[in-house]
Amino acid sequence: MTRIAPLPRQAIADPELQALIAEGEALGVPDDLFPRIIARAPDQAVPLLRALLMSHAQGNVDHKLKEIIRILLARFANDRYFASLRSTKARDMGLTEKRIDEGCFAYEDDNKGFSEAEKWALRYADLMFLDAKQLDKTFYDEMKKHWSEAQIMELGAFVAFHYGMQMFIRSLGVAAPAVATNEVIK
Amino acid sequence: MSINPDAVDAAFFDELRKHYSEDEIVELGVFIGFNLGYHTFFGSLNFYPMFSPDGRLVRQSESEKLYGPTPTSLKPEAAV
Repeated sequence: MTRIAPLPRQAIADPELQALIAEGEALGVPDDLFPRIIARAPDQAVPLLRALLMSHAQGNVDHKLKEIIRILLARFANDRYFASLRSTKARDMGLTEKRIDEGCFAYEDDNKGFSEAEKWALRYADLMFLDAKQLDKTFYDEMKKHWSEAQIMELGAFVAFHYGMQMFIRSLGVAAPAVATNEVIK
Repeated sequence: MSINPDAVDAAFFDELRKHYSEDEIVELGVFIGFNLGYHTFFGSLNFYPMFSPDGRLVRQSESEKLYGPTPTSLKPEAAV
């Protein structure tokens, strides 16, 4: 039981919010629980949900990599709700649970086959909330060898936004959805 | 939420409800979550306010000198 009760689906009348909820359900992230909670702040629910979906499913960084990063962050945040959800788009692109676990726990292992660009993106997410002091000029200079500045901003904003929402959802005690993967919290 | 998220438990929410509606708690929570994420990201980018405290448009190098490398609220002397 979440600490703040979600609104019933039928209580959400805003067609824009309804459309975004349907978009999230089609993607698989988020299901309708998160939107029904933030719908309690209706003026903010639409831009928040739009930003969440846009930062995850659009842009110029590989969606499969973003999906691994999103799950890595949710595990780090100890957020069972978002950690258990999976992007159908990423799955359809070939992302497997095995690859997700490798990306979360073993991306530095050269035998796992992550490119240097992917490794730097995963380090970026790892360090942002583990030890942000390491994200210094030297780190960004190295990032720029693999990613454009636009892509770095896309990654940074994605990491910041999703981690923030994961910490919020964690605070609400939202459990994993009924249909969940065999989720392991880092 | 940031420093000790385990402390934001059911008892904490019960106390919050004495002062805020559930809708207000959601508004506060998403605001804090958003800022928690973005301030860490922005902090890593090493940028400073565009304007001095008296309203002048200043270069980043001057702004860094004006505002210093540490957020004001984190300076020990700022603690009351």
